[in-house]
Amino acid sequence: MNKSVSPADITLPKGVKDFLPLKAAKIVYLRQTLLDIFSRWGFRPVIPPSMEYLSVLERGLGAALQAKTVRFDDRQSGQLVTFTPDITPQVARIVATRMREMPLPLRLSYYGRALRHEEQQQGKDREIFQAGVELYGIDGAEADAEMIAMAIEALQALGVEKFTIDIGQVEFCRGIMEQLELPAEQLARISEAIAHKDNSGLRRLLEQSELPPPQVAEVEALPRLFGGVEVLDRAAEAVKNERSQKALTNLRQVLDVLKVYGLEQYVTFDLGEMQGLDYHTGITFQGYIPGYGQAICAGGRYDRLTAVYGYPVPATGFTFNLLNLLFAHDRQLDDVVGETTDLLISQSGEDKQLAQRIARAVRQQGLSAARDMVSRTFEQSVDYASKMNFRYVMTVAGESEVKLHSIADSSEKTVSIEAIFAGNLELS
Amino acid sequence: MSDTITFALPKGRIMQDSMELFAQIGITCPEMESENRKLVFENREQGYRFMAVRATDVPTYVEYGCADIGVVGKDTLLEQGKDLYEPLDLKFGYCRLVVAEPKELMQDDDPSNWSNIRVATKYPNVTERYFAAKGIQVELIKLYGSIELAPLVGLSERIVDLVSTGATLRDNGMVEVETIAEVTTRLIVNRASLKTKHERISRIIDGLEKVIGDEVRISG
Repeated sequence: MNKSVSPADITLPKGVKDFLPLKAAKIVYLRQTLLDIFSRWGFRPVIPPSMEYLSVLERGLGAALQAKTVRFDDRQSGQLVTFTPDITPQVARIVATRMREMPLPLRLSYYGRALRHEEQQQGKDREIFQAGVELYGIDGAEADAEMIAMAIEALQALGVEKFTIDIGQVEFCRGIMEQLELPAEQLARISEAIAHKDNSGLRRLLEQSELPPPQVAEVEALPRLFGGVEVLDRAAEAVKNERSQKALTNLRQVLDVLKVYGLEQYVTFDLGEMQGLDYHTGITFQGYIPGYGQAICAGGRYDRLTAVYGYPVPATGFTFNLLNLLFAHDRQLDDVVGETTDLLISQSGEDKQLAQRIARAVRQQGLSAARDMVSRTFEQSVDYASKMNFRYVMTVAGESEVKLHSIADSSEKTVSIEAIFAGNLELS
Repeated sequence: MSDTITFALPKGRIMQDSMELFAQIGITCPEMESENRKLVFENREQGYRFMAVRATDVPTYVEYGCADIGVVGKDTLLEQGKDLYEPLDLKFGYCRLVVAEPKELMQDDDPSNWSNIRVATKYPNVTERYFAAKGIQVELIKLYGSIELAPLVGLSERIVDLVSTGATLRDNGMVEVETIAEVTTRLIVNRASLKTKHERISRIIDGLEKVIGDEVRISG
């Protein structure tokens, strides 16, 4: 029986979407620009698979991401497999198991998609597009600075005018938090207050805690230590423990490298930033564009991740979230992403050979061209071309000439076919 | 001015209280006093914009970055659990989020015996979390207003609602049994705004912190 098809029945799962040509072209452009920058800094691509055994990938995932894995049953092995929710642990696994004989440092880049379970009603994306890099084998500040410098250069290459790379250091927080002798539940509530910069809530929790005043002062300082470079001085004043001081030294070293690159004006600091994936062990950073609430890129140091796959090496890296970048920077991309095709080539009559040979010649010349295979009037071709973002309609007129019609201003000119075959078609 | 700071404020009393507070640190909006039907007001000279929105929508505007700063009750923040900074307790609009029930039920009721109860509320998330933490299963009935009516007509046995003076509860023959949270009005800030406009926003937060007294106020 022939069931009727209603558009309402043909839908996508929540949190994933189709990208039509205009948006897709922008994503392709973002990806290519980023990968070009990565390769300019000496990073070589790896391509991990899109699914892995849950038991393997899980080793490298923090609790927050573990809870978000999309998992299913693999009939062949009887094991649970997962679509990866994050590519970094996959690259760590590749390095630890497949590349450990190679000399360090390793500079690797990747592009791929990851799936994360998100609360349905919030309408968040479940599929994210990541393009990032990982640098293995160096634990110094220059490596961390390299990540930040690359992120800044990438944003500049994309033409993002206003942005901030906000730098934190998880060791600075941990230096303060490890001193507190409090039950886990109370610590979790204090951490949450710091994460939300809830100064008044934090004060109330600390009043109830009976912690010694110097510790209270250090914790209270945390959510206020954000802003420009001066934050590092304020932090040195406010926090005295050794672990935090060491973290500050590391931040200053990173800043010094960024100054050499001439990029220090793009960074801010937030030492109370608790956001970072559980695997971070040092510097963390996030990129923000004004007016868009979520980070467009994020990264940091994670020195213990490859060890869970049996090969301990220090590591640092970052990744761009391409959909966040797309939405934050959408309109500016209109100017750079020309989703246009140069020529629509039509020929009337039965014989289409000349049109086909012309199409081949202009493509060899480096132009984009599509054949108008439909038998229709010139006006209909022009109508189609303007709706589908062509720049010109080219009509074969006789044996030796073509007519070139500009969609933008309807101007027309004739061009000799000889010139086209010689590779000399000039479009304005 | 490209560095404009946009505020999302709940229409009504809280908006007035907020603007009075902001005036103490020199943030004003003369346009707001003359025009009443508008939803967006601007002080171009100072580079501030003010949006009048529904209280429950304030966190959404701020989360998505349409507003840099918002003013909203802690009850709404608890209910929505959004990813926002909330650096200041503005200390007005004090009230409490409580569990209440009819007086007759109260007389021989022992909260430690509750197991499967029906609760009407505007705050289903807070209510569910609160009772789940105590190991009590609840059947939630989400209402949008006049919560006190629910037990009177048998829609639910109990309610979870905001009370400030408690007069409405008393008038409807209800009593408070437990307090879930104390609520005041909070200043909230968008994550990206705090980073990308940190100088102006820090100045606002620091300034307000100095003029907010220690005393907590009930609005209205």
